[in-house]
Amino acid sequence: MAAKRVIVIGGGVAGMQAAITLKNNGISPMLIERDITLGGKLTRWDRLFPCGTPASEVIGKQIESLSELGIRTVLCGEVSEITPGDGHVEVALTDGSSYEAEAVIITTGFDLFNATVKEEYGYKIYPNVITSADLEDMFKEGEVRCADGSAPRSVAILHCVGSRDSQIGHGHCSRVCCITGVKQAIELKQAYPDCEVYNFYMDMRMFGSGYEELYKEAQQKYRINFVRGRISECSGTLDSRVRIKAEDTLAGRPLKMTVDMLVLMIGKQAPATNAKFASELGIRLSEDGFLKGVDSFDGATVTSRKGIFVAGTATGPKNIGESMAEAVTAAMKAVEYVNSLS
Amino acid sequence: MMKKFGFTINAKRAIDLDINDRSIARQVAARVPSWSLCIGCGGCSATCTAGALTDYNFRKLHLLARRGETSALRKQLNNCMLCGKCTLQCPRGVNTRGVIAALMELLPGE
Amino acid sequence: MVNLYFEPFIIPFCIGVVFLFSVMWTKFISWISALPKSDRRMIRRNIFSSATLMALWEAFRECLLHLRIMRVNGRLWYMHTSLAFGWFLLIVFGKVEAILYLKSPVVPIYVDVFFRKYFPFAHIGWLGVVMDALLLFVLSGLTAAIIKRFRPSVYGMKRTTTHTLGDKLALSTLWFIFPLRLLAESFNSAIYDSGSFLTGSLGVVLAAIFPSKALPYINETMWWCYSIALGLFFVSVPVSRYLHIFAEIPLVFLRSFKVRTSVRATTFTKLQLAACSRCGICIDPCQLAANEISCDTQSVYLLRDEREGGASLAKADSCLLCGRCERMCPVGIKLDTIRTSVRHNRRKDTSTFDYGYIASADVTLPSAKTGFFSGCMGRLTPSVQASMKKIADKSGIAIWFIDQEEGICCGRPQRMAGNIDAADSMRERIEEMVVESGITTLVTSCPICLRTFTEDYNLGDIRIIHHSQFIAELMEQGLLDVEHTEAGFAYHDPCELGRGLKIYDQPRQVIARLGQLHEPAHHRDNALCCGGSLAHMGLELDKRVMIASSVSRELEQTGADCIVTSCPLCKKMLAKSSNLRVADIAEAVSEHI
Repeated sequence: MAAKRVIVIGGGVAGMQAAITLKNNGISPMLIERDITLGGKLTRWDRLFPCGTPASEVIGKQIESLSELGIRTVLCGEVSEITPGDGHVEVALTDGSSYEAEAVIITTGFDLFNATVKEEYGYKIYPNVITSADLEDMFKEGEVRCADGSAPRSVAILHCVGSRDSQIGHGHCSRVCCITGVKQAIELKQAYPDCEVYNFYMDMRMFGSGYEELYKEAQQKYRINFVRGRISECSGTLDSRVRIKAEDTLAGRPLKMTVDMLVLMIGKQAPATNAKFASELGIRLSEDGFLKGVDSFDGATVTSRKGIFVAGTATGPKNIGESMAEAVTAAMKAVEYVNSLS
Repeated sequence: MMKKFGFTINAKRAIDLDINDRSIARQVAARVPSWSLCIGCGGCSATCTAGALTDYNFRKLHLLARRGETSALRKQLNNCMLCGKCTLQCPRGVNTRGVIAALMELLPGE
Repeated sequence: MVNLYFEPFIIPFCIGVVFLFSVMWTKFISWISALPKSDRRMIRRNIFSSATLMALWEAFRECLLHLRIMRVNGRLWYMHTSLAFGWFLLIVFGKVEAILYLKSPVVPIYVDVFFRKYFPFAHIGWLGVVMDALLLFVLSGLTAAIIKRFRPSVYGMKRTTTHTLGDKLALSTLWFIFPLRLLAESFNSAIYDSGSFLTGSLGVVLAAIFPSKALPYINETMWWCYSIALGLFFVSVPVSRYLHIFAEIPLVFLRSFKVRTSVRATTFTKLQLAACSRCGICIDPCQLAANEISCDTQSVYLLRDEREGGASLAKADSCLLCGRCERMCPVGIKLDTIRTSVRHNRRKDTSTFDYGYIASADVTLPSAKTGFFSGCMGRLTPSVQASMKKIADKSGIAIWFIDQEEGICCGRPQRMAGNIDAADSMRERIEEMVVESGITTLVTSCPICLRTFTEDYNLGDIRIIHHSQFIAELMEQGLLDVEHTEAGFAYHDPCELGRGLKIYDQPRQVIARLGQLHEPAHHRDNALCCGGSLAHMGLELDKRVMIASSVSRELEQTGADCIVTSCPLCKKMLAKSSNLRVADIAEAVSEHI
């Protein structure tokens, strides 16, 4: 009897992990990735919190496993339609090809928040307002530079841009930006010890293992400033610096300062494909557009549609470890399911 | 008679929720449902023009009103221009102008 | 000896008439004499001018023919006109009939009203036909009114107004008047074998049904009932919506004499409250009603409550002041100003403000003859100012960015909240700052600021324009070249700019230079409000987004690639709710340079 087949849509960390797990459990997986390379959003990231592990190392290991296990991978494959049938699912791509399997795992990840929507922060208006993703690009290139080519001497990091903001209809917490803000502040200080770094936050949500330690290190070892207050407006100065206004809520007074660079900790938002999958397959969406399993516990990766499983940030913001763990769960649920088919 | 030691909190400084009258807070909350959503991020007071020029601080003011510390608040509200910037930036979608209008009516004058 | 033609059954009618006219005249005369001096001066200045003739013509058109309603709603127009104009003609021809028959120019009013009762044999052939035709006309209007009450959808209206006690009394008696007149005249015909095609024919039927001995008694009763119905109706008029029938006439004249509606309410406001017919035309254009956010705060209800002793502040506050209802009001009542005046009255005792501190706000030093004021909202939409800088550089025009460092509110939000004194103190500071700066042109990208600069400020010779007008002029003068592309732009008219200041064309001219202009279903003076209005202080964010989403859907349906507007607040609201990109007109222009 031929091995049961499962198609994994999305080749980020979750998708790769799911494919590897499936293969190790006797299933024949196929991985479809929209992009030209595997790794998803992580390909843009330099080092990861909380230990500074290079992102390339994490992806590299997974890609290696994929090829060792001989897992079939389709790159540049954009899914046009998923058609569930009785005991099988058909996945059609925009190039006209189509594949059949007994189950599908959706691991299509998230979209980065488009910071121009929060116009008051001046992204794409003032040259020295950048996003956390832009800063990662600079870290990868090896140096952080202002628009005029100089090294920044003062940087403000603003948390919760595109997260926890009813004004733009994103009520959810993106979960990783707090710790990313701390991580990037430390990296800035490591690269430029004389640079003053300020984190502007509403709440510091240090929930993960090693996060609180990193936060303390940022405070004590790197002397990073933490200001509890949300920046409300920015303006550009004649010398292209950024003037910010906030309230230092713990001091109870308005705060103004001019910095060389403002980094916006952009959040995660549901990708546009979630709504498409949800309506085509009849899967429920959360208020913020993430895919929902049948419950929040054992069924978190199992959807109301038989043979369709979900994992990773497509179901809500997560860190790398959580994405991988959920991918393993989804894969095992898929294994259980396909093996139950006669 | 018990002797008083110096380790009690100074009564005049503490917000005493045992005695504070929070009826105004209840009325404002009933009128402006979103009022309860504030997490005190300070965005309103940061963007406030009046707050930049005077000691008017809407975040503190409405928090004190919520706790029933209503004396001396009404006069501070006199600085508000009702321009609406605070409402537009509030990440929790609090209708801050609605709160101001309600406090304006309900807070006792001096 | 003058013949008074007294009969007991006319007593209810006469009491009604005397009561109505004495109450009404007392009201109108006291209101007019209590107008502010400046308004009375305007009346004296204009009363002996063409304004009176114009008003006469308007009163005929609007109080009798209701032409404005005709343009909005044909069926509703028929109801109003058949009742009003039909009744008017019945009175006129009744008078003619009495004068011709009695060959005397002076006939007591009740004689021509109850003419058939007085002179059952009087018969002027053609007039009888006319009178019966008019009665039929009015009865058809009455039928239409009854249908409207129970099935407003027949008139394309989602909702019709609810009634006060006075309204109910007046309405029920009004419904009885004309059927009773028909019966009274028909019983008369049944006895005397007179009457024309309507009353005559019905008379034949009645004569066949009722025993001839009973007819005189029934007839007498019918005329009594008719007189009582008229009397009761007249008595209830001053306490019901039907006061509008009479109040609209002085309103038309005073308006023609340029008497102003003020936020500090005058007796002219009272006259306008009385002139509201509660037709309900203002309900359906209201987006708060359409989105079922509030269905009892529309102008008709505010005016009703205010007339009945005072509307609540909550009701007065619950309005976007978008101007959509005012535009539709067939009586031309200044609904937005009246609402603001109610807010002013309810707030004036608790709203105290002190803006002494605004003198200490940092402003940049004047650096050019053209000043740009971005306003408070402009500080949250910095791309507009950045685009204006690019446009200024490209056209070689020097611009002084007035509130680049710190913004002071223009005062319009306070004005809309009814806090006029607070608004005035802000106005004075900005007036001083702008006039002292020596600029010759004041440009603003905020229609809210622009409206108050235009309507409330005294800036001497300084020209006040919107940035869309400024850009249109730069293009016109050949100072600003833009690239025309295939891109499609759906334009959203901001309320304050469009209905408020009637600026519709320049933004469209500018967009036409950039690409293809798309118009949403509601546009120009019928444009929808984005939901962001500062005028509504009670509206929560989710409700605002609900309104904005419906507007965004309409703009998206045009098939455009981008939504363009020219108000920072509209931009913010539409950007929250649309899948398309939303740009200020200045941004769209700067991207095409």
